[in-house]
Amino acid sequence: MIKLQNLTFTYAGSLEPVLKEINLTITDGEFVLLSGSSGSGKSSLVRCLNGLIPHFYGGRIRGTVEVEGWVTINYPLAKLATKVGLVFQDPENQLVTTDVEREIAFGLENLGLPRPEISKRLEEALDTVGIASLRYRSLSELSGGEKQKVAISSVLALKPQILVLDEPTSELDPQGAEDVLGIISRLNDELGLTVILVEHRLDRVIHLVDRLIVLEQGKIVADGHPAKIILSQYEELDKIGFGFPPLIFLRQKLIKAGHQVNDLPLTVKQARTVLETFFRTVKAPPPRLDKKPSGIPVIEVEKLWFAYQKEPMVLKGIDLRLYQGEFIAVMGRNASGKTTLVKHFNGLLKPGKGKVLVNGQDIKKTTVAELARQVGYVFQNPNDHLFADTVEEEIAFTLKSLGFENIASRVNDALQRFNLVPYRKQYPRFLSGGEKQRVALASVLVAEPKVLILDEPTRGMDNALKTSLMQFLKEYRQQGHTVIVVTHDVEMAAAHAERIILLSEGKVVVDGHKKEVLSRALLFSPQINRVLQGFEKYGVPQDILTVEEALNLLKEEGNGSVDHGG
Amino acid sequence: MRLNFCYQDKGTLIHHLNPFVKLAWVSSTVLLALIFEHPLYLLLLFLVTLPVVIAAKGWPEWLSLLRFMFYLSLVIIIINSLVMYHGTHVLLEFTFEIPTLGQPKITLEAICFGLGMSLRLLAIVSAFTILNLTVHPDDMLLAALKLRLPYKSVLATSLSTRFMPALIDDLGRLTDVQRSRGLEMDKGKLGQKIRSRGAVLIPLLSNSLDRTVQIAEAMESRAFGAGKTRTYYKEIKLTPLGLTQVAAGFLPFIFGLFLRFKGYGGYRYYPSLQRINLNWLELTFMLILIVLLLAILPLAWGSKWELKNWRRG
Repeated sequence: MIKLQNLTFTYAGSLEPVLKEINLTITDGEFVLLSGSSGSGKSSLVRCLNGLIPHFYGGRIRGTVEVEGWVTINYPLAKLATKVGLVFQDPENQLVTTDVEREIAFGLENLGLPRPEISKRLEEALDTVGIASLRYRSLSELSGGEKQKVAISSVLALKPQILVLDEPTSELDPQGAEDVLGIISRLNDELGLTVILVEHRLDRVIHLVDRLIVLEQGKIVADGHPAKIILSQYEELDKIGFGFPPLIFLRQKLIKAGHQVNDLPLTVKQARTVLETFFRTVKAPPPRLDKKPSGIPVIEVEKLWFAYQKEPMVLKGIDLRLYQGEFIAVMGRNASGKTTLVKHFNGLLKPGKGKVLVNGQDIKKTTVAELARQVGYVFQNPNDHLFADTVEEEIAFTLKSLGFENIASRVNDALQRFNLVPYRKQYPRFLSGGEKQRVALASVLVAEPKVLILDEPTRGMDNALKTSLMQFLKEYRQQGHTVIVVTHDVEMAAAHAERIILLSEGKVVVDGHKKEVLSRALLFSPQINRVLQGFEKYGVPQDILTVEEALNLLKEEGNGSVDHGG
Repeated sequence: MRLNFCYQDKGTLIHHLNPFVKLAWVSSTVLLALIFEHPLYLLLLFLVTLPVVIAAKGWPEWLSLLRFMFYLSLVIIIINSLVMYHGTHVLLEFTFEIPTLGQPKITLEAICFGLGMSLRLLAIVSAFTILNLTVHPDDMLLAALKLRLPYKSVLATSLSTRFMPALIDDLGRLTDVQRSRGLEMDKGKLGQKIRSRGAVLIPLLSNSLDRTVQIAEAMESRAFGAGKTRTYYKEIKLTPLGLTQVAAGFLPFIFGLFLRFKGYGGYRYYPSLQRINLNWLELTFMLILIVLLLAILPLAWGSKWELKNWRRG
């Protein structure tokens, strides 16, 4: 049992408390989903549960945190580790040793357990998470998902009654995330472990949990069974930018349009039952006239082969033509060659064999700096972009490197365009996540490139940040520019991209309009499409990907006045 | 070609050899390289490391390291011949003067001395490479603990090597980020170059600090520093056979000490090179030294070391 009473915490050196008057009781065996926007205090709250706050992070603390009868402030971290296990976001930075067995033993050795006991617990921990086959493997060989399983297992070895996971899937690819969430859910189901999970992507977990807690600016704004919260607080949470899964969004839109929807679908399976009546009478709209992409090519790839070392080949004979004004999503499993491909578009990598032309110019004959005026590249972590003392200097740096004139006025324009004027004199790395993202974007877009590449831009982002980023990209495209994103985010690609290039093992497997590529697939389809796949028998078109499209379909049928405004 | 200079289990007999034996052998070789001055002995020490490198399948990594060492040797020879003028065989004499050093001249003796020192360095680096490529970092940690080094210092060292690859990845990525923004690292005057490096090094430093905090959090969350007595799941067990092997690993050094004591293995470079004349006795001694050093190969073949592990009995 966890009991928080009037918990208020302020980090040392900060004036504003990060957690405000939190009162919360979590009973044994509950599966709790903790959600809220970036900076809402989720990470701080979970760090209170195992004593990292206040033992590791100093600050001012008021109120009490009681875990299994222990008031955390009175017990050292090492003791609390046997009550509460904490798994972190980044699989890379929480593993201490070099192989699986030693990693799991690490905590047990710290406790000073005798060797036979360590052996016994090691076996149990391996089996509980189902990674016995990885036992002798070196950690550096494991995938992100496997590393995260090792992290879970190494925490479970300490036999905590409570397992807390702080965004454990945000650094993983969809398959890895699915695996890890499956294990977490099983631990709760079969072992009765209390689980507290912080997660942005609600569609993956909302049907699994008993309780949803939403934090906003350090306060609990919603707490209860997910269905109950959605029924009673949808409008309120929608206003603060809470990202409901597409299914729930669709249901609310239907209700708003005056339809009667009795049940609340949380999974694709439930949605097929609940929504069947609406789609029974839909007639297929006239077939979509497919335009082959055309126009002025900005990037041309001819028979591109590439390998970092002699072996293995990462890109195997890629042929592509990307046109001005397109929004392209490059998708595929990890290590399928996505990032390697797009790094050729601004010359960071040069072809091993074949050719890459940017605006007709062979990249082998130009430098990255020359290409930077034509192609901008935004990396996943905005922190990687930031080094200057002020936001202003950060943006000016790109202009200076590229030899622009009128730097001051260009910087001013960029500051205004990205709403950064109030922060112009601030140290970029101390800004919030969303602000940092805007500085990183501004520092690239200030050079006015005609093509923008973004690597995993939405990974780990909350809904509000995603929406504002997509708005920027929309405006950028309206000027006739090209956007290329490397992403695993199917929902984002379905909503915003036009063309999808799917890579596998260094080859283009599919290249086409999103409606062809993302429909009728299993894992690679957005949630709405997976629901409508069940209604094919009623003639429902199978290339519907988003809530808006689904609503339009009903509207075309004169099925009442469905409001399809986003 | 990017090579991995860290430990990889290539499953060779050298990899399976008890780390203490390897430690003894490498220490022996390094100490011998330090006490011997004679270039022939140094060459011999360098050469005996080769079969061991080959047996450990460390050839590609070793070769690429050798290329780097070759350049380093060149630098040593050049600098040495530019600043040491004790030799008598002058090959080239300059007309200007360097303050405190005098009129520079390049002598045969100085070049040879540089060569000798390079050979010594090669032998030492080559020996350490074997240790680096064939001992698991965690075993190195266990070995260090067995030698009674304090746990926290040993762990800190092992952590810093563990995160080396991550740091190298970071460096590559951060360089790419700034290059994409039009930064050309090697362009401009010195001031600009330093600033360019800053664009990469500042984020690298902050990322590393973030990582440090995250690792510390993760360790604390797994009861790090819980009690006074930490236990160890794995332990390097020194069986009587292992002990004999360690002793065998030190044998070449003991023999080398004996040789030096007897007056062998010294060499005079200045003012003129000492003539090399070997007699049969010295050749026999050298042969014995080679045999003792190469004994590590049959030792590795003859036994496999076991991690003491109660579960596995």
